[in-house]
Amino acid sequence: MRKTDILDVVSRKLAPFMFLFGLYLVSHGDLSPGGGFQGGVVIASGVILLAMAKGSAAAAALLPVRKLAVTEAVAFGLILAVGLAGVLMGAGFLADVLYDGTLLPIVRTPFVFILNLLIGLKVGAGASLICLHLFAQE
Amino acid sequence: MGARAVEIAAVLAVAIFLVLALGGEHPTETPVRAYVVEHGEEQTGAANLVTSVYLGYRAFDTLGETIVLLLAVSGVVLFVEHRQ
Repeated sequence: MRKTDILDVVSRKLAPFMFLFGLYLVSHGDLSPGGGFQGGVVIASGVILLAMAKGSAAAAALLPVRKLAVTEAVAFGLILAVGLAGVLMGAGFLADVLYDGTLLPIVRTPFVFILNLLIGLKVGAGASLICLHLFAQE
Repeated sequence: MGARAVEIAAVLAVAIFLVLALGGEHPTETPVRAYVVEHGEEQTGAANLVTSVYLGYRAFDTLGETIVLLLAVSGVVLFVEHRQ
């Protein structure tokens, strides 16, 4: 596939802002449209953009496939751990035991923030993993 | 000419059906929706009511959603690695 300089330059400038926007969507999920899943997919689309412009080898050098796989598995384990923490506190699986009616500064609602962060990590790593694997086939 | 006229008529019919079927107000006012609108923010702390549902009231569904993605990734990795 033939590439132009425009794709090369624009994608390198745009990808960091896509990562930043993905992090914004993940961290502001309780206030505005967005959340872990959507933010994670935006982060993964930044990875896809890098992979299309610079080649899948360059994208895999930035985010090694092995580390993405570990990230996804660990994030899933942590989501389960957060759920089980609710059971141990006597409130039920995945129950919010941290919110008592007061909004904290910055994170506001810790339970929603933590779960959004974990889901964002997991979805971002998972979607990037699928795309890097498929790009590596070419 | 005839075939093109039939195509345009079909597209117009679908468009009119969609406008009539989907346009206007959503008539569904369920007790659950009223409850979430009233108590969602105070009970979960999330100003975004969508978030208050998917992480507050129905976090178990969200867990299932992440399992689906985990299985999808596992399947892709399995098939791609086996082709090599």
